[in-house]
Amino acid sequence: MTSDLSYPDVVQMAVPLFIALILIELLWIAMMRRGGRYETRDAVTSLVMGAGNVASGIALGFIAWGFFMALWAITPLDLGTSIWVVALCFVLDDLRYYWVHRFGHRIRWVWASHVNHHSSQHYNLTTALRQTWTGTFTFMMIVRAPLILLGFHPAMVLFCGGLNLIYQFWIHTEAIGRMPRWFEAVMNTPSHHRVHHGRNPRYLDANYAGVFIIWDKMFGTFVPEREDEKVDYGLVHNLGTFNPIRVAFHEWIAIFRDVTQPGLTLRERLAYAVAPPGWSHDGSRDTSEAIKEKHLARHPQDRGTPGFS
Amino acid sequence: MPLSVLIALVVGGIAGVAILTHLFGFSKLHRFDDAEAARMAFLREWPDVATGTITLSADRHSALIETNKGPALVWAMGADSSVRFLADADAQDTKTGLSIRLADLTAPNIRIRLAPDERRAWLTSMKVPR
Repeated sequence: MTSDLSYPDVVQMAVPLFIALILIELLWIAMMRRGGRYETRDAVTSLVMGAGNVASGIALGFIAWGFFMALWAITPLDLGTSIWVVALCFVLDDLRYYWVHRFGHRIRWVWASHVNHHSSQHYNLTTALRQTWTGTFTFMMIVRAPLILLGFHPAMVLFCGGLNLIYQFWIHTEAIGRMPRWFEAVMNTPSHHRVHHGRNPRYLDANYAGVFIIWDKMFGTFVPEREDEKVDYGLVHNLGTFNPIRVAFHEWIAIFRDVTQPGLTLRERLAYAVAPPGWSHDGSRDTSEAIKEKHLARHPQDRGTPGFS
Repeated sequence: MPLSVLIALVVGGIAGVAILTHLFGFSKLHRFDDAEAARMAFLREWPDVATGTITLSADRHSALIETNKGPALVWAMGADSSVRFLADADAQDTKTGLSIRLADLTAPNIRIRLAPDERRAWLTSMKVPR
């Protein structure tokens, strides 16, 4: 069994590339006055979130790694390390990413970790690095368990996850319009991912893909970017702070406050933690479904169009 | 990659981006063109809430909005805007305007610039304790 397999830490290796591409995008926007927007505090917050994500990975990565190695110890399967196995692992890990990402928008416990990635009202390459510090606490490493049990080595799975993350960096930009049609059909692109970051009712809960957009098309969550509806970036109710600590932890604390408020049933307390974001026991908040319905009440002509079907 | 190199890259990268964005003029606070622009910024977040009188600050970085859910504030968040209702707000005078404290982790202390005569009018409209 290939128990001592190791791969390079590709995300750390890509840091110079990330910085170089951010500088190129920033210079492009500054010189051409198009292709996106930058704002100093927003960009710094995003970059600090990215640095914190790397730090939390160093500090807490042993938890997921220990879990994966425990699974590896009990599985009788070992698919080896051929290039085809790595390729298959990459595709299956991208499917895993789709579902973790979808859970991240549909389960508040996971959203508490992921919300920070959507908290910028800008969409540029620094937004790609606005990553969670608290991913470990979502326990979404469980979704990788089938891959390990099927015989993909944990190091290979994490290597493919790193490649997936690097791929997603370049799609966080407004500087690129559309890619060639064949590419847009199969791959996640800046256009598809702009939709994912939209707070427009039409664009909520769409385009969860990491690398291959085909998952959204297969599972019915694909919404194309429309020329007649510019993407409005950010959260449904935007943050009023650039403080990275608040960006990182605010939803966790909000969950705690909701769950511990007096007068709720056990079921309601549980729902505040795991129901879709926006759920409330008294209907005082809106889930994405409610937001879409209210939009349709104001704009009935949109019913049946992408994002409202 | 050695940790020391990674740290130097990250710190240098963040500092470089901060300096460049500032030098390029991307630190300017959003300014609402007029009261209608402030109303649109409010409706962007609360499209179903009815709005009434809008009081735009002299510097046009913030606006107080009467709504059917009580007074609300829309203010510049960098190049964009954010909105909060002020029902549970605690407002204090500062040297340059008002400090509005909310029991809201994502907007705990909103500082807005107002002239002394504007402050009186805003506090009256907000009907919140000073």
